[in-house]
Amino acid sequence: MTPESMDLVFHALASRARRAILDIVRDRPGCCVQDVCVHFDVSRIMILKHLRILEEAQLLVLKKAGRKVELYFNAVPIQMIYDRWTSEYSSYWASKIVDFKMLLESEPQKPPPSPSSHPRKSKQHEPK
Amino acid sequence: MNPSDVQRTKQVHRVVINAPIEKVWETLTKTDAVLPFFFCSVLKTTKLEVGAPVRMRSPDGKLTGVVGEVTEFDPPHCFAHTFKFTNYDDPLCLVRYELKSIEGGTEFTLTSENVPVGTKTEKQMGSGGKMIAEALKVYVESGKPSFVSRMIGIVNFLTGPLAPKKCRSEHWPLDKKIS
Repeated sequence: MTPESMDLVFHALASRARRAILDIVRDRPGCCVQDVCVHFDVSRIMILKHLRILEEAQLLVLKKAGRKVELYFNAVPIQMIYDRWTSEYSSYWASKIVDFKMLLESEPQKPPPSPSSHPRKSKQHEPK
Repeated sequence: MNPSDVQRTKQVHRVVINAPIEKVWETLTKTDAVLPFFFCSVLKTTKLEVGAPVRMRSPDGKLTGVVGEVTEFDPPHCFAHTFKFTNYDDPLCLVRYELKSIEGGTEFTLTSENVPVGTKTEKQMGSGGKMIAEALKVYVESGKPSFVSRMIGIVNFLTGPLAPKKCRSEHWPLDKKIS
């Protein structure tokens, strides 16, 4: 993967709206631009701009089907970034740690032990 | 299950390979050789043309992981075949490889169509597709197999002693009609 194409991928992913678009398209392979637009309050032009950035990064594939354009999520750039680092460092322990984190966070949250404990910011979860 | 009752989906995997289209095509359609980008299996067929059988076999030929029939063959742009994992009883789907010459190399697109939703085939196609696209890129560009330790799935049962009996090649001769 060239440094330039990696820049494109990270730039594309560095936007909450664009990540949300990827989620929408991943869940509905072959959906059209309008199917994406209905999830947002911004203009269609803005969505088209996001789609272009995602396409340039190859995270989205746009396929013409007659007059319609179908959108598909392409996981290959993310896989290449994953491999770029995990073949150098250890993927084994990293995945164990992520599993461990997921396990603990999927358990029902207990209330904080006492009011005197340090105040904590509530954690914002992004929609999956 | 009646194949027409199943909801179908489509998956797309795309990568730009820094190599001329002819080289990508030649690598992709190589028969009787171990293909590091296709889970180290071997493509067996009669002669690659529409209607020809497709069998992805283990290097020793004893096991067959994927079976199908060529539906499109247009060198060096398009190669498509029906597709079925021998260890699952899921209905047939379609795999299409499209090659396009662009600035900086070849745009390689792997599309799997009619993938039955919610099946093991769907899951396997999802992880397999991106691995094939990436591994083909690494193999064509460097001439060396990529990091293959993640080559889970097909290769596990193709090399393991636990391979289901239905994956044995004797059940999947070249002249058997796949439906």
